[in-house]
Amino acid sequence: MTLRASLALGAGKLARWGLVSVLHRNASQLPGRIALALDPELLSELASHVEGSIVVCGTNGKTTTNNVLASAIEASGQTVMCNRAGANMAPGVTAALMTKPSANWAVIEADELSTIKILPALKPRYLVLLNLFRDQLDRAGEIDRVQDIIAQALDASPETTLVVCGDDPLSMGVALRLAGNNPIISFGIDEALGLPPDRVPEARFCQVCGAELGYVFRHYAQLGNFACPNGDFARPQLDWRATHVKVERTGVSFDAAGPHKLTAKKPAAPQLETPQWPVHLKASFGGVYMVYNLLAAFIGATLAGVSPEQFQDTLDHYHPENGRLQRFDVDGREVVLNLAKNPTGFNQNISLMLADDRPKAAFFVVNDDYNDGKDISWIWDVDFERLSQEDDLTLAVGGHRANDLQVRMKYAGMDAPLCTDVKGALDHIASLPKDRPLYVLTNYSALWPAKAELEKIGESHER
Amino acid sequence: MSGKSVRIAHLYPELLNLYGDSGNIITLAKRLEWRGLTPKIAEVSIDDTPSFKEVDLVFIGGGSDREQRIVCEKLLAQKAELAAYVADGGVLLAVCGGYQLLGHSYLMGDEKVEGLGLVDLYTDRGNPRLIGNIAIQSDLSPQPIVGYENHGGRTHLGAGVRPLGKVLFGHGNDGTTGYEGCWQDNVVGTYIHGPLLPKNPGVADALLSAALERRYGDGALEPLDDTVELAANQVMVDRLLSGEEKE
Repeated sequence: MTLRASLALGAGKLARWGLVSVLHRNASQLPGRIALALDPELLSELASHVEGSIVVCGTNGKTTTNNVLASAIEASGQTVMCNRAGANMAPGVTAALMTKPSANWAVIEADELSTIKILPALKPRYLVLLNLFRDQLDRAGEIDRVQDIIAQALDASPETTLVVCGDDPLSMGVALRLAGNNPIISFGIDEALGLPPDRVPEARFCQVCGAELGYVFRHYAQLGNFACPNGDFARPQLDWRATHVKVERTGVSFDAAGPHKLTAKKPAAPQLETPQWPVHLKASFGGVYMVYNLLAAFIGATLAGVSPEQFQDTLDHYHPENGRLQRFDVDGREVVLNLAKNPTGFNQNISLMLADDRPKAAFFVVNDDYNDGKDISWIWDVDFERLSQEDDLTLAVGGHRANDLQVRMKYAGMDAPLCTDVKGALDHIASLPKDRPLYVLTNYSALWPAKAELEKIGESHER
Repeated sequence: MSGKSVRIAHLYPELLNLYGDSGNIITLAKRLEWRGLTPKIAEVSIDDTPSFKEVDLVFIGGGSDREQRIVCEKLLAQKAELAAYVADGGVLLAVCGGYQLLGHSYLMGDEKVEGLGLVDLYTDRGNPRLIGNIAIQSDLSPQPIVGYENHGGRTHLGAGVRPLGKVLFGHGNDGTTGYEGCWQDNVVGTYIHGPLLPKNPGVADALLSAALERRYGDGALEPLDDTVELAANQVMVDRLLSGEEKE
């Protein structure tokens, strides 16, 4: 290690000690920020302390996918460094890699725009690209630009295998842009699911000629078995497939199947044992989007030497603690907390609510801090109108932009009073029977306060 | 039920849908329905050839550069008909990229692209992009018009063109003149999205009233209870004008 790197690492570690031990604060970013400022090359240096790394990116689902993947690799007896809290830009990644002197794997969630810094430094074996949806236009810009950046990041790390959702034309658009050096593995759901159709996707155009894509079947948003009518672009032959998919209120299950013979990425790595396909997987959380997340995590885990049994065991013991579909009991009422930060995420949450046949209440919270994106016009792209089909739905809205949500609900045909916090929303529905759950859906910066509040007034419950 | 309707043409929503623009259409439709009037909404697709003869209100939104280019080429072929519609007092609302199309030209990268020439204005580019919340004072609305702007383009109005309003907070057309948008006859162009109409019900009603006036000779609108909309408007006005929000 260079003297500069060693000094930087020392300063970063000192900051971590101060934050955690003295200030009792979460040390997910600051130590990395300090260390990176002292030595910008530190990320490359730290990358040499792990044998291999896997980076997970995509608009929605990366924290859950990344955490399941890290837990599964740990369950196989290997050591892992991981940015579990979701601090996913270069400082957060640097901080995560400072948590241990060395490990078998780094399992890293990366913000899409930060891949351009993270990939060239980390040179991961795999980049998992889950999906690309419209999100934070004021910060990220148009999706074209996000695709260009991820492709440039991969071009700068040509040995990284791209593990890409083949059902997503926009993620496949990244694969199209590559100079051609990165190996590519595709995954997807290989059957029609017969779900009630959601809003016609905005991003349904051929990435080559711009013609409207046709679909043999479509699961949600732009994800499905697509093809350009001019033959320019189509869903690839999937390398990893989910079939016999069941999506229920209590969770998801599916059969996963991969290639006939798995080969290890590096000759030095232990040879991989190919499981007996298909492997049946089940989890007690999530909707159809979770099938993609879990299939992606399963691919990463399998390629890192995790057995199907170890992976299923991880799912059986995995309880979201990061506000992603986390369930609480508050004085006998079930409260479901989930992140919903863009139209696709919100629409998937609405699908989950509609799949729950109980009468229910919901509290929607939207902030407009920098991390959320200051432009919240996307709330008009969420299909809240679907909720008006619920007979017995009680709504409330909150956050810095509570009034905007209230207007949105009015134009979707629903009344929604303003509440300042989860407690306020619970008070608002206090007269409703206790068996009616409250769904709390918040965007990014509103999630942690809601979670902290629920941990204080309720009990996290495992199901 | 008076039996009156307003025929709204939403141009190319599959391409120009960047900033919650469907909210503008929802707002127009609901504000008609709540008054017992019928919204007749036609989503014009890029493969259609729109006719403006049986239309009362045209909306065109914003898209990415590539999509805007496709739309511009398509609309240039319809230029004469669209100009006749506007000359006849037809109501046209154009937001963001749609606003730039109204002028003589705009820049795509370094290339000058011919616009529709419906309003005497042109657009070039500048750095940085002008991004953030915005509030303007306009005669079109009893309240300040609030929303969000995000544009690299700098739009310059010809000498005789009335701006939509005066910037109270934010950047506006070019970040220097202190004016935002354009408003000529029944054509309104603006960089303000958010979307524009839900929190600015005065603007929505002014457009609907003009459309009804042209079609039926009577633009009177029954008042609605806008408590929720105006509260949202006021919250943002207070935040922007109190100095709480930084430019």
